[in-house]
Amino acid sequence: MTRYLNLYWYFLIQRLKVLMEYRISFILGASSTIVWQASSIAAVWIVMQKVPSLNGWNYDEVLLVYGLVTLAKSINHMFADNLWTLGRIYIRSGGFDRFLVRPIDPLFHLLADRFCQDGVGNFLVGIALVIKSSLTLGIDWTPSKLLVLIVGVVSGGLIFIALNLITCVSAFWIVDSVPVTRLVFDNHLFAQYPLSIYPKAIGILLTWVIPYGFASFYPASYVLNREVGNIAWFGPFVAAFLLFIGYRFWQFGLKYYSGTGT
Amino acid sequence: MIQTARRNLSVYSSILAMIPKQFMAYQLWFWIGLVLNVISMAILVYFWRAIYADTSTISGLAQNQTINYILLAFIFMPLTSNDLIWEFGSNLREGTIIHHLLRPINFQGMNYAQMLGGLVTRLILQIPMAVVAVLIFGLRFPTNLSTWLAFILSALLGFTVMFFFNWFLACFTFYTTEIWGLGVLVDGMSFFLSGALVPLVMMPEWIRNIVLSIPFAQALAVPVGLLTGITPLSDAPHVWFIQILWILGMWIVSTLFFRVAVRKVTVQGG
Repeated sequence: MTRYLNLYWYFLIQRLKVLMEYRISFILGASSTIVWQASSIAAVWIVMQKVPSLNGWNYDEVLLVYGLVTLAKSINHMFADNLWTLGRIYIRSGGFDRFLVRPIDPLFHLLADRFCQDGVGNFLVGIALVIKSSLTLGIDWTPSKLLVLIVGVVSGGLIFIALNLITCVSAFWIVDSVPVTRLVFDNHLFAQYPLSIYPKAIGILLTWVIPYGFASFYPASYVLNREVGNIAWFGPFVAAFLLFIGYRFWQFGLKYYSGTGT
Repeated sequence: MIQTARRNLSVYSSILAMIPKQFMAYQLWFWIGLVLNVISMAILVYFWRAIYADTSTISGLAQNQTINYILLAFIFMPLTSNDLIWEFGSNLREGTIIHHLLRPINFQGMNYAQMLGGLVTRLILQIPMAVVAVLIFGLRFPTNLSTWLAFILSALLGFTVMFFFNWFLACFTFYTTEIWGLGVLVDGMSFFLSGALVPLVMMPEWIRNIVLSIPFAQALAVPVGLLTGITPLSDAPHVWFIQILWILGMWIVSTLFFRVAVRKVTVQGG
């Protein structure tokens, strides 16, 4: 374990050296995500000047939900973005074979190979939204609320990673896994708003099938003293379960991997 | 002997298996793209329904009017495409811009024709999405012919405004040779500034003033406003007139900038 941590650190330093060589691209990449988020948030702000609430959630409560899912997404974006490019960049070019002959876990190698700077923008947006909304709402931070918040973001991030892992394994068969991953990933957009605004079926989908709800809606509900019950604490178990499935599926896919002949 | 045959068989069969994999990937993209758009539309529709839960009108717009506007703006989003910037970028990177500039046809005219072709193709590809919007989300297209004509003219004018505006922006790539960042940044800004997310009438005045003094809205919010009836049909001539002024202004600015910038062409090899 310490060996992998050291290795990750080493990979990260190398990656940052590369990024510093292209400083303009680094800054543009990180700020592009900020511009996109700013567009959506500006729209919510404008609309919520006109009405008091979104299904009983005021503007700052909506921002908290939005901020939490953005934070969870940024964890995935920064540390696991390579799951998107497994097929396009590594398998198609044959570069993936390089990982297989090295004495470290190929999945670890894939993830550590590229820290994605664009995720930093999302991280900053998420932090800013959570701090802004909790100050305006005057949230009384009890230890259990703080714990739910942190656990929610971390397990939310792991749920993002696990779902991308499960879907990216399709690259071993169809090479380009991006469409499959997008199909699942884009559902996180539902979790930018309180799940209670959607029909029941979508709420169930985002809780039990593609459980992005554990990144935002459930921890936010708990922190805001809304009735959610014990489900606010389920996030880590859901994340662990999905990661287990994801890793097993990855190993299964790896067994069938045969390269593209490039 | 048998071993060689078996080896050959496995080699050739995996090469053969590659082709359906590639083919499937394109097919897959089309259908998955449709599902992704349905997800986006669902979020927009449920968001706006929740916004309208306790009120019947916002800034004079009823719920169905607003949702109609938002869905139509989503469907006609290709009007704001900035493909031209990417096209310039790849021409520059691969050096093909030299050949284009030397050809005996107008470079700008050639690009305009290309972009118009791209627009038509993209709009045709939006049809399945529009069908879903009608069937599931209750989108209502206007049935009035003159509304459609007013919209089509305004959309063409707006598209032309964006063409010259993108031409202007693309000239910066001659200096920076950085395309990706510029493209993504413009994309992100136009997402809001085109009026795709909120009808212009709901915006506070100072924001609306900013939005209307930048070209993006001319290509989306303005024509879709006519199509949904938020802008009355009697205002159409006035709308067209302003769009024509925009075209003239952007045409002059972008042509002048291009003349200066093209001397800076530094092709990155190729």
